Amino acid sequence: MARDRYPLRRLLFQFDWSILFLLILLAGTGLVALYSVSVSSGTPFYQKQFYFLLMGVVLFTFILLFHYHYLESYGYYIYAFSLLLLVAVLLFGKASYGAKRWLDLGFFSFQPSEVAKISVIIALAKYLSGRDVSRTGLTLKELIVPAIVTFLPLILVAVEPDLGTALIILFISGSMILFAGIERKTLMGITASILSFIPFMWLVLKDYQKERILAFLDPELDPLGSGYQIIQSKIAVGSGGILGKGFLRGTQGKLKFLPAQHTDFIFSIFAEEWGLLGSFFLLSLYLLLLLWGINVVRNAGCRFGAYLAFGLVSFFFFHVFINIGMVIGLLPVVGVPLPFMSYGGSFLVVSLVAMGMLFNVSMRRFMF
Amino acid sequence: MSLPKGLRIRISLSFFLLLLLFSLVFARFIQLQVLESGTLKEIAERQHRKVLFVKPRRGTIYDRKGRELAMSIETFSIYAHPERVKDRGRLARTLSRVLGERYGKVKKALSRKTSFVWIKRELPDRTFKALRGLKEEGIGFVKESKRVYADPPLAPHVIGFAGVDSQGLEGIELFYDSYLRGKGGRLYGYRDARGREILFSNPGREATQGYDLVLTIDSTVQSVAQKALKRAVEEYRARGGFVIVMDPKTGEILAMANEPSFDPNDFSRASPSMWRNRAVTDIFEPGSTFKVFLAAAAMEEGKVKPSSRFYGEKGAYRVADRVFHDYKRFRWLSFTEVLQYSSNIGAIKVGRILGRERLYRYLRVFGFGSRTGIDLPGEAQGILRNGRAWTDVDLASISFGQGVSVTGIQLLTAFSAIANGGYLVRPFVVKRIVAPDGRVVKEVTPYIRRRVISEETARVLSGMLKKVVDEGTGRKASLEGYTVAGKTGTAQKVDHVRGGYLKDRYISSFMGFAPVEDPRISILVVIDEPRGSFYGGDVAAPVFREIAGKILPYLGVDPLYRGRPLRVRGVRRVEPVRASVVRDRKAIPSFIGKGVREVLRQAWDLSLEVKVVGYGRAVSQDPPPGTSFKRGDTVTVFFDEGIEKRTRIGDNVSLNE
Repeated sequence: MARDRYPLRRLLFQFDWSILFLLILLAGTGLVALYSVSVSSGTPFYQKQFYFLLMGVVLFTFILLFHYHYLESYGYYIYAFSLLLLVAVLLFGKASYGAKRWLDLGFFSFQPSEVAKISVIIALAKYLSGRDVSRTGLTLKELIVPAIVTFLPLILVAVEPDLGTALIILFISGSMILFAGIERKTLMGITASILSFIPFMWLVLKDYQKERILAFLDPELDPLGSGYQIIQSKIAVGSGGILGKGFLRGTQGKLKFLPAQHTDFIFSIFAEEWGLLGSFFLLSLYLLLLLWGINVVRNAGCRFGAYLAFGLVSFFFFHVFINIGMVIGLLPVVGVPLPFMSYGGSFLVVSLVAMGMLFNVSMRRFMF
Repeated sequence: MSLPKGLRIRISLSFFLLLLLFSLVFARFIQLQVLESGTLKEIAERQHRKVLFVKPRRGTIYDRKGRELAMSIETFSIYAHPERVKDRGRLARTLSRVLGERYGKVKKALSRKTSFVWIKRELPDRTFKALRGLKEEGIGFVKESKRVYADPPLAPHVIGFAGVDSQGLEGIELFYDSYLRGKGGRLYGYRDARGREILFSNPGREATQGYDLVLTIDSTVQSVAQKALKRAVEEYRARGGFVIVMDPKTGEILAMANEPSFDPNDFSRASPSMWRNRAVTDIFEPGSTFKVFLAAAAMEEGKVKPSSRFYGEKGAYRVADRVFHDYKRFRWLSFTEVLQYSSNIGAIKVGRILGRERLYRYLRVFGFGSRTGIDLPGEAQGILRNGRAWTDVDLASISFGQGVSVTGIQLLTAFSAIANGGYLVRPFVVKRIVAPDGRVVKEVTPYIRRRVISEETARVLSGMLKKVVDEGTGRKASLEGYTVAGKTGTAQKVDHVRGGYLKDRYISSFMGFAPVEDPRISILVVIDEPRGSFYGGDVAAPVFREIAGKILPYLGVDPLYRGRPLRVRGVRRVEPVRASVVRDRKAIPSFIGKGVREVLRQAWDLSLEVKVVGYGRAVSQDPPPGTSFKRGDTVTVFFDEGIEKRTRIGDNVSLNE
């Protein structure tokens, strides 16, 4: 069991204050964007989001107090607990929009699937850091545990159904495993079998999921149906121009042409009102945050720290990239929220917890 | 601690992959927000931009005393989107019952393969109220402006009428269309994805209401003229006729009546030939009334005196190959008597003394053969051939009013020159043009085209014409208490098909003015094809008497010999009513009962934002009137006419579009 050997003064010195500032900017921008949607829709999203932000900040601070090695120690318990929650949501969950994703805790409902993302990262980091991969990479046998760790929650999430989260879990695990490295022949074998499996995947997908993919390939196929969101999002973003229409002056969002504008399509609203300048500002914030994250991986104090940090960076990267890619029509519409921007309590809190872990690894990067 | 080499390589790999993917995203934003921005902006505009065309209110037409002769009111029209109608048969049955239309016709309209069809325009108020509650998919109402005219019709031929799209089609409505019409306004707004709520962010271009017209027509005089004409036409079972009442000194038309008449509120029921204002558009041979101008010319030239004597040839007189007749075997007649008894042969002889060139010149100067320039559409110019080309027979016929064609307005305008001391005026019907804000755009002042004869000639001739009424053919036009000068006319109608004249078809006319000393009115009465009697003195002169007898006292002209002062009616000035705008800057005013346009204008003045729900008249608002507000606050105003259907993107919701 690792003990925290860092004096507080040192921890404060090594704390990434500039990155914290970026984070505050990001969260502030998120509130501004949500305020705009709140005004036009008449629902005070930004207020509720602010309360969740406060809750997240408490958890963020709490996590900083303990050395991240505790996560390694309790990694599998955390993982098991999150699986329990996923089973619970299927049994007692609250259904909305045809999916059972929420556990009602009385004062608020939360999504265990968000917790699952983090628990998979911790469990995988623990497992992978225990392997000696300096030679040639993971063998097929060594992939069995990561596969189980990944697919147990993935299947439970997919049953809800929540395709977006399932995909995110798959991508995070995949990238972590690739980061650890796989034996060459195993890698080729897996690649080949995945490629041959794709056609069957099509059969497994639900109709609305297929529609989304087709709509992505050609939005004009059904401009008022499944292609609608992509087209409307592109119109909103593009009509913003370079300088934007101005705060609270967006028309496509305000007039409700764009669905899901407070959650998955919040970026369109922001880009419409703030234009290319706003888009670049926000993208730059994300890029700086991710580059810093990679640096945390590089300088991590131990292998577990590196794997954990890499998993967390993947977590942020996939959310940001898939969400924005979808908003600008580069990727199909998948329900993936944008960290610190999209409305949603569970996701915001989990994002801040993840950030806390990343800061934690960064703060305690030196061995001595 | 240093990580294994493999991990370090992959960290760098991630680093570059991240930069690569982000540059892709950055590039995509440049593509969307810079390169394709123009196109996407346009698409966005098309989606949410809502342009409401606001029709201007057509100007009101007032008579000279400020009484409305034509005005626009709001009505509703019903339309359908046939493709959205579910049960055509049932809807058609309901509509045909309420509208009083044939079932087949309504059903056919509802079955048309278009997205929009009018079912009935300009619904009567009662019908609209019965239909507005109808909750049927695919039908809707549009507010339109309907033109209403005085009932019973007053001067319909002068005023004319405007069609269903507020377009002037006849009369003043046509001639002054550009003034009356006004300019359409535009409201720019946004519609949301459901196409329902419309947010107006600026008032766009205001509709400019049409200008109001104040006519020279006096409803009372007009009404008297119409009734007198109608009675005469009915009494003599005539084909028709017209009456013009003019102020001889100014050229103002006080009345202009035509028979047969029509109701401009329902103009399509009358045949187009009935719409014609024959007093202005039709030409006829004037007959004996024309002798007045011959006399004026001859006296002005000093060729004859009232006492000059002419031999009547016992009623038959040969000129070249033609023999002209008088209705009586006159022997010696003074020039005064030639007019008094309307001797054709006397007139022929005067004409010969005057000569063709001079007569032609005077007739031209009196305005024959050219338009008077009255502000009414379709004025004819009459036919007066060049004097140089006249044969002796032509000269002889023209001397007593055959072989020339004139319009009624030409004849009375020329005649008024004798009444007013020798001036040829330009007749007119529109006295004043008033902008919606009450500003007078144009005040028409009487226009004297030229002096035609000397005052002396006019005075002497007036005296001779007074004798026509006192002792001659025009006795039936005489009035107790007023001096009248006038001339009768009885002309055979020209056979336009075979040439020559039609037997037993006459145009009987009388023109006169009164009082002779200071003429206030000149009147022309023309009766087309009277039956029974056909002499102008019998048929038309009594009409003059009836009209003049009633309107002279009305105009405040004191009858002679009676000395009883008449009350002069005060003239009421028309002050266009302007909506007063509530200027209380602290509390939200009440919008209830106001139209969308008005609400927006008022809110704009107060820096209030308005959320408009529906259209028509405001029925409620949130926050309520009296609530305090600050700049930029939003008020939601609900109007009584919502759009009764669900709409999606791309729908064209028609709101007066």
